[in-house]
Amino acid sequence: MDNFADSTADFSAPTMVEGIAQVVKIDGRTAWLVPEQGSSCGSCASASACGSKGIGTTASRLDNRRFRIDNDVNLAVGERVVFGIRDHVLLKASITAYVIPLATLLLAGVLAQWQFGSDLVTLGAMIAGLVIGLGISRMEAGRLHNKGDLVPQFLRRARPGETCSS
Amino acid sequence: MKEYILLMFSAALVNNVILGRFLGLCPTMGVTTRLDAAVGMGMATTFVMTVSALAGWTVNTLLLVPFDLGYLRTITFILIIASTVQFTEMVVKKVSPLLFQLLGIYLPLITTNCAVLGIALLLVDARMSIISSVLFAIGSAMGFSLVLVIFAGLRERLAVMDVPRLFAGPPIAFIVVSLLALAFMGFSGMGAS
Repeated sequence: MDNFADSTADFSAPTMVEGIAQVVKIDGRTAWLVPEQGSSCGSCASASACGSKGIGTTASRLDNRRFRIDNDVNLAVGERVVFGIRDHVLLKASITAYVIPLATLLLAGVLAQWQFGSDLVTLGAMIAGLVIGLGISRMEAGRLHNKGDLVPQFLRRARPGETCSS
Repeated sequence: MKEYILLMFSAALVNNVILGRFLGLCPTMGVTTRLDAAVGMGMATTFVMTVSALAGWTVNTLLLVPFDLGYLRTITFILIIASTVQFTEMVVKKVSPLLFQLLGIYLPLITTNCAVLGIALLLVDARMSIISSVLFAIGSAMGFSLVLVIFAGLRERLAVMDVPRLFAGPPIAFIVVSLLALAFMGFSGMGAS
């Protein structure tokens, strides 16, 4: 029975998803950070084609994922920090980006098929539904941004050698 | 309406894209170590699979079939999927740069997801109408996401279990996913009256 885990083990998910980022620019009281990738990412078989790393250049898409936080702790360029995103944020972001446009696409398609019964009309309605859904997504993303729901939070300075998996 | 519900149910559970058709096994093993990553990947795949099915149906019906270009189907669909992923990435970035920071990591991985191509080709072979194609794609993608989320939950628990050293890591994950496949086989015995 030794191989079985203690039945009182805590399986609850952490409240924050943590990541490590490097400070690349200080702009007044704002610090700009670029997230670091896990060590396994570069050695993946798809690394050369993977957008998270870039196509073998330093001007990778990581630069596009640059984000900013308030610099209340006097961060300096080159410092590595641990930042956190609340665990429900990813779900909220996914719903905003993907579920809303899909729902409007499907709703428009079903209504058009029910009303007209023509594949071409349904196709046009689905494309229109997708465009409308993307507009709604944009408004919702703006609302979440204004509420500060999507903003990563500074947690602490990273220890030397600390990685995402450590 | 009943046939559409059955179509989605069948695509999601009975002929589950991972456990029934054995497509998309790479993301199943690769992004299920954390539940939040599985949810992000599942939703991104759902979006891309649905839009690809829509674009694939359109190109096949309006271009490939009328001009008798069926032999170009596979390469055309690969191009459509790559374009859809690129389009999605651009749109998410335009809709919200912050959302792109959170979700952008999953999008390029979908380009090489064989489940997306597999479903697009299945839809053409089945000669479905556009609404059936989209519903089938959404059903398949929901089944894909469901398995990712279930498997991620199981793997989060496995991570804190005391697994015998010989089975630690991927071996026990493969055993768990095979048991999950056995459980999903139960759906194939269901009938609608």
